[in-house]
Amino acid sequence: MQIYDDYKDHADFLTIYIREAHPLDEWRMKSNEKDKDDVCYVQPKNLEQRVAIANDFTQRFKFSVPFGIDEMTNAANDAYAAWPERLYILDESGRISYKGGNGPFQYDPKEVRAWLAQRYGEVKHPEPAPEKKS
Amino acid sequence: MNRILFWVAISFGGLVVLAYIGLSIMAGGPRDAIGMVRFALPHMHRGKLKVGDSAPDARLVALDGATRFHICERNHGRPLVLIFGSFT
Repeated sequence: MQIYDDYKDHADFLTIYIREAHPLDEWRMKSNEKDKDDVCYVQPKNLEQRVAIANDFTQRFKFSVPFGIDEMTNAANDAYAAWPERLYILDESGRISYKGGNGPFQYDPKEVRAWLAQRYGEVKHPEPAPEKKS
Repeated sequence: MNRILFWVAISFGGLVVLAYIGLSIMAGGPRDAIGMVRFALPHMHRGKLKVGDSAPDARLVALDGATRFHICERNHGRPLVLIFGSFT
C-alpha cells in the first residue's frame, strides 16, 4: 500500500477487517469467483473464520499494514459506520480529523494522501518492482 | 375513481421499473441490483460521527486470533489512519 509506505514515518496506520461485503451466501460478485480472483468465502459465522480470511488476505497480498479484526459483535464497524469500506484519520488527541465516504463509490485514498501531504509535505517513495514469475 | 387508481398504479409501477433499472446500472447488473437492496443497503450507513468528534474505541483481534487490543492503543502522538474493509 503506497500511502502507508510513503507516510508510515509520520503517521500510524491500522487496517480493520470487518464483515465481508460480497460473500458467497449474500451479494456474491462475479469478480470474486474462481475463474477470476478466487475470493470465495461465505460470511464468517465465528471469529475463527474471520481470522482465517484475514490471514488469507494478508498472506496473499503480502499486506504489511498493521492489522486488526473486528469482533463478531461488529463493534468497530458499528461505531464507525464502516461497511463496506471506509477511511478515517484520527488526530493526535484522538479526535476525528478526516471522515471518508462509504465505499466503494466514495472511498477515496487520494483524500487521505492529500490530508497527509498537507501536514507533512508530498512524500513519494518509488514503488517496489513487481516480483518476477518463475 | 377507477381511472385515477389506474394511473396511480401505472405511475408507481413506472417508478419501480425506473428505480430497478437505475440500481441495475449502479450495481453492475439486474442480479446485483437485488443483491444491493437485499444485502448492502441494510448495512450501509452514513454514521453520526463528524470531524472534531472524539473517536470511538472498539476492541479488535490480532491476526493470531488470540491477542486483543483497542483502537485507542494505536493512537499515540501521531495521526492514526484507519482503513476499514474486507476481502471480498
